[in-house]
Amino acid sequence: MGDMNFSLTTFNKTGKLLQIEYALNRVQQGKMSLGIKATNGVVIATDRKVSSVLVDDAEYVKMQNITPSTGFVYSGMGPDFRVLTRNARKAAQKYFLTYREVQPLAEVVRESALVMQEYTQSGGVRPFGVSLLAAGYDKESGPQLFQIDPSGAAFGWKATAIGKNYVNAKNFLERRYNEEMELDDAIHIALLTLRESYEGEMTEFNIEVGIVGEDGIFRILTPAEVRDYLDEAN
Amino acid sequence: MDSAFGLVGDGFAILAADASAGRSILVFKHDVDKIMELDSHKLLGGSGTPADTANFTEYIQKNLKLYQLNNDLNLTTKGAANFTRGELAKALRKGPYQTNLLLAGYDEGCGPSLYFIDYMASLAKVNFGAQGYAANFILSVFDREWTPGLDVAGALEIIKKCIHELNTRFLISQPNFVIKIVDSSGTRVHEL
Repeated sequence: MGDMNFSLTTFNKTGKLLQIEYALNRVQQGKMSLGIKATNGVVIATDRKVSSVLVDDAEYVKMQNITPSTGFVYSGMGPDFRVLTRNARKAAQKYFLTYREVQPLAEVVRESALVMQEYTQSGGVRPFGVSLLAAGYDKESGPQLFQIDPSGAAFGWKATAIGKNYVNAKNFLERRYNEEMELDDAIHIALLTLRESYEGEMTEFNIEVGIVGEDGIFRILTPAEVRDYLDEAN
Repeated sequence: MDSAFGLVGDGFAILAADASAGRSILVFKHDVDKIMELDSHKLLGGSGTPADTANFTEYIQKNLKLYQLNNDLNLTTKGAANFTRGELAKALRKGPYQTNLLLAGYDEGCGPSLYFIDYMASLAKVNFGAQGYAANFILSVFDREWTPGLDVAGALEIIKKCIHELNTRFLISQPNFVIKIVDSSGTRVHEL
């Protein structure tokens, strides 16, 4: 009788899905990531501190392209993020095979959000222990920034932060954000916000910054480029 | 027996199709519209087996509508053409649709475009094209007359020449044609 498979995520008396709450707790323990949408692009940044000097971090990259013009970053469990990235990339390729066009960010987000929701209602699985930040640039919709939570809820943001100290970071962003910001300013503000909550010294090697501009190409800034922005911020 | 043909001009695309429906030696009617409006800025002209043509083009139209409803976004002409080709390709080795298509559309960024899609799921972006027996006559006219950047009047002149060629040299009598234009303001019917 292997047909029965019940969900592990069930409501409690007060109407809460505790598994999702717990997943959000896990996210809040994770290293901070944030994103800011500018008039001509989007920047996402994350804390990439490694646990020990012995870690060989040459291959350690947190930000991932899903399509040439969209990038994901996360706060929470790295392995769960890997699964979602793989899934999103496959979906994007499937889209490309059908339409021979790059999947728009909103639809990339929708696919991932759908998967994350499924894991809160399917049998025998647990929710993903990550919140995602998705950044992209479409011709149709311009620059966009989305957050996807373990529940599968997706939100569009002008600026947001997730992970440790995200409340402080969002307050900081609320004060500093303005609608007319261009990408360069947004990068500057992103670094300042990251530094506010950073434990220890923030250098170009222990953070990761990704941008997508009007060229529609999402890429991770080189350490040299991050160094320049950091110097400006001092 | 269907004739469908079209061309791309300066900021617009034109599709024309004959309006006769018949079988064997009998003509049922002369006022059939064989050019389907897929959405506000796309036209799909079908030729081939009548049932397959109607069924398939409706299927494409409804799926494009579903895409628009699901995603709050219109697909580009290129996306629609590739989706259509994909559906023909999927069916090819199972139960092929005997439908030959010309898909014309207008997109904000790249302007007007015309795609030739035949029943074996080949896809080509073209400046002008024709499906059916008519192609044997019309392509020569297009080859001679088409230039890039035609205005609507110039394009209609060429369409008239095509119709004249068919009326003169094509065995099957096709007294009526439906002509539709798609440009930045959408699709419209043109009365000759």
